[in-house]
Amino acid sequence: MVVVRLPSLLAEQAGGRNRFEVEAATVRDALRTLPIADLLFDESGQLRSLVNVYLDGTDVREREGLDTGLADGGELRVVAAIAGGYG
Amino acid sequence: MLILAGTRKGLFLLREDGGWQVEGPFLKGWDVFHATVHDGTIHAAANSFVYGGTAQRSADMGQTWERSEGLGLPEEGGLKLEKTWHVEPGRAEGELWLGGAPGVLFRSTDGGDTWEPVKGLVEHPTREQWQPGAGGMCTHSIQLDPSDPQRLYVGISAAGVFRSDDGGETWAPKNKGTAADFLPEKYPELGQCVHKLLLHPARPERLWQQNHCGVYRSDDAGESWERLDGNGLPSDFGFPIALDPDDPDVAYVVPEEGAENRVTPDGRLGVYRTGDGGASWELASDGLPQPAWASIKREAMAFGRGGVYLGTQAGSVYALDTASGRWSEAARDLPEILSVEVS
Repeated sequence: MVVVRLPSLLAEQAGGRNRFEVEAATVRDALRTLPIADLLFDESGQLRSLVNVYLDGTDVREREGLDTGLADGGELRVVAAIAGGYG
Repeated sequence: MLILAGTRKGLFLLREDGGWQVEGPFLKGWDVFHATVHDGTIHAAANSFVYGGTAQRSADMGQTWERSEGLGLPEEGGLKLEKTWHVEPGRAEGELWLGGAPGVLFRSTDGGDTWEPVKGLVEHPTREQWQPGAGGMCTHSIQLDPSDPQRLYVGISAAGVFRSDDGGETWAPKNKGTAADFLPEKYPELGQCVHKLLLHPARPERLWQQNHCGVYRSDDAGESWERLDGNGLPSDFGFPIALDPDDPDVAYVVPEEGAENRVTPDGRLGVYRTGDGGASWELASDGLPQPAWASIKREAMAFGRGGVYLGTQAGSVYALDTASGRWSEAARDLPEILSVEVS
């Protein structure tokens, strides 16, 4: 079991929940179980470019991306990329 | 009387009850490109620069929202939904249409639960010729012919006007007589940059459009277009257009100085009205701040209940009482206004 934490905008889209406990083997599987999966992935199954996912504090892109394996007790955190110029 | 003001920072509802009351923001954190009310439900085209384009609805006037989770384009086509732009209530029970970028259209038959891409447009044989403009290749206008259940139109930026006579199965470009000054060929079959397209509900073969290159009217369901700028309009450039459902000869536009300076000409904020089918235009600015260097987005003007409503990028909503010809302020200091609808 891993814990997934969502930022407030996603939590609002997930019925107000910002914390999910999921059983999943990989980062992809864990994110796919979420009710906001459509906001994280595009039509080709890629993580949207400004969505960052951290596993126990490390960007999963620095590991094996969506294929990164999950161990019991891990914590996934979804974070929107910094985008200061947007306004 | 209800105005829906979609903004860069959520949706606001303006209610008139002796004065104007502002409710919201709803959909906080979302760019609300357009919102409309249909059968008591608000439908919104809401976008996030992080999480993409969505269709959202609220059955309790904004308190709670549902997102349609399956919205997207078929993976095999290689296109990805970039943004949602406009929701148009359909003619049949539960039918809605949703326009988006890149030049795509969706149809719902269950009140917005699920959306199916309209393949005839998504896979249009001329798609390779469409070149995105600055605003992306957005399907921002969807117009349904009330007299012919099979006929509908879309306006797509930098692709042009298309008409379907078979409920959306096939689409033909309808741009004859409209200019594309930015292309080597000035009058191509398609590629024109329509900014907003409207059909007159009482005379459905009559269409109006504000284009990147002119204001136009068609009296033959888009087969040919007559250019209407000049005759009192200070420029051919602008984004929104509004019609009076009771009078097919009336239209309102908000000219901007030009494509390279997208702001009210000489700081003269107002709408230009024609009452003679576009033969002449007059400025209605009485009561508006002057000078005001304003920009009005393509969806940010609407006609309803005897008034014209205008939302500025500076966050003001103005109401024109068409009987008196006077403007008043309905709201100010909202975020950048992207759309205005009257319900």
